[in-house]
Amino acid sequence: MRALVVALVFAAAPAHAQFNLRDLNINKMLDKAKTVMSATTEIAEPDEIAIGRDMAARLLGAAPLVNDPGLQRYVNHVGRWLAAQSERPDLPWRFGVLDAPEVNAFAVPGGTVFVTRGLVQRMRSEAELAGVLAHEISHVLRKHHLKAVQKAAQTSLAGDALQHALKEQRPEARDKLITLGNELYTRGLDKSDELEADRVGIVIAARAGYDSYGLASVLQTLHAMNAQDSALALMFKTHPSPGERLNALTDRMQSVLDSYATQPQLPERFAAETKSLRR
Amino acid sequence: MKLFLAVLLVPLICAAEPASVVRPTELKKDPATDAATVVQVPADAAVDATERRGGWVRVRTPAGEEGWVKLLALRYGAAGGAKRGDSGLAQAITAARTGSSGTQVTTGVRGLDDEKISTAQPNASELRKMEGFAVPAAASAEFADRGQLKAQNVSYPK
Repeated sequence: MRALVVALVFAAAPAHAQFNLRDLNINKMLDKAKTVMSATTEIAEPDEIAIGRDMAARLLGAAPLVNDPGLQRYVNHVGRWLAAQSERPDLPWRFGVLDAPEVNAFAVPGGTVFVTRGLVQRMRSEAELAGVLAHEISHVLRKHHLKAVQKAAQTSLAGDALQHALKEQRPEARDKLITLGNELYTRGLDKSDELEADRVGIVIAARAGYDSYGLASVLQTLHAMNAQDSALALMFKTHPSPGERLNALTDRMQSVLDSYATQPQLPERFAAETKSLRR
Repeated sequence: MKLFLAVLLVPLICAAEPASVVRPTELKKDPATDAATVVQVPADAAVDATERRGGWVRVRTPAGEEGWVKLLALRYGAAGGAKRGDSGLAQAITAARTGSSGTQVTTGVRGLDDEKISTAQPNASELRKMEGFAVPAAASAEFADRGQLKAQNVSYPK
């Protein structure tokens, strides 16, 4: 639709120009066409990283990091190794365990991934942790949140405000953009994005040498919990049910899962590195 | 040696977990697709799940038949939807908010819920702290090596 508008603007110009060239502000028209186009072009990587830092800072305002430097470093080692197997190995990847009892995980554009203490406490191995981190890494790889923020910005930021927000020329526009981004964490992405992140994440975890069933094991744990459990409320609101996700994996991922099912799970290293979370 | 074996087997025996199968499933004699079928298990049948091997889990039916089913065919928890109760989070938060005197206390752990996320203010010092925990790719490769993780070529499924 936007492309059509741009085409019309250009097509209309010469015909009009024949009659009254002086009255027609060609430059203004070109500017307008450029702005419309920029809303549909990809956000550049430096802008993606800058927006991500702001969004990450907000999430950290909602829940701080677990005060255990050893645990935080451990999760960064696992996450960085996974990200190295991806198509975007050179992003500034950062991983953090949020001090919250809920079961959840978040991906932030530009390479930041959070997992809650409540989720880590329910895991049994490093392969399970890797499965969850790889799912979140996949959201970053496929730019799911970034595209959703951009889409939201197009409908709620007028005209060229997105460009101003990206260039940090207008603080209130920038603030609005970050708010739109963080709203995604309470509304959720499209179901297809979540199922895609499950499939891509399983491949990343298998590439990193982990037992390919890590994510599936976590989904089975979540399925076995009471769906009314308040610790799951936000996770369940923003994701397809664990049962539906497991069924989707059966349909699409069985061969990858079975080919790498005997790779290490590392339950002992996981237990040692996360022991501060166990009372 | 016998004692050692017994110790090894104890967790497997104790770890029997109630589960059910989501679809009609063949109970296999061994953990392999081409293994003999012990019995056909109907959808929603309750089983006790024990050991996992690769993509297979050893189960026992209420009738006492034993064998292996695909891991993805299993859903843990008792059949019929009777699942474990609430983790007690809501109650814990309520208690923290109320306190023993019945008045609001500010030290309680507020959950990471919709409201908390949408009203959060940026925390720059936590962001800096997180950036300080970042690990270079080379260090993560050594970490992977210590865990005997070997990188594989795996392509995305279509």
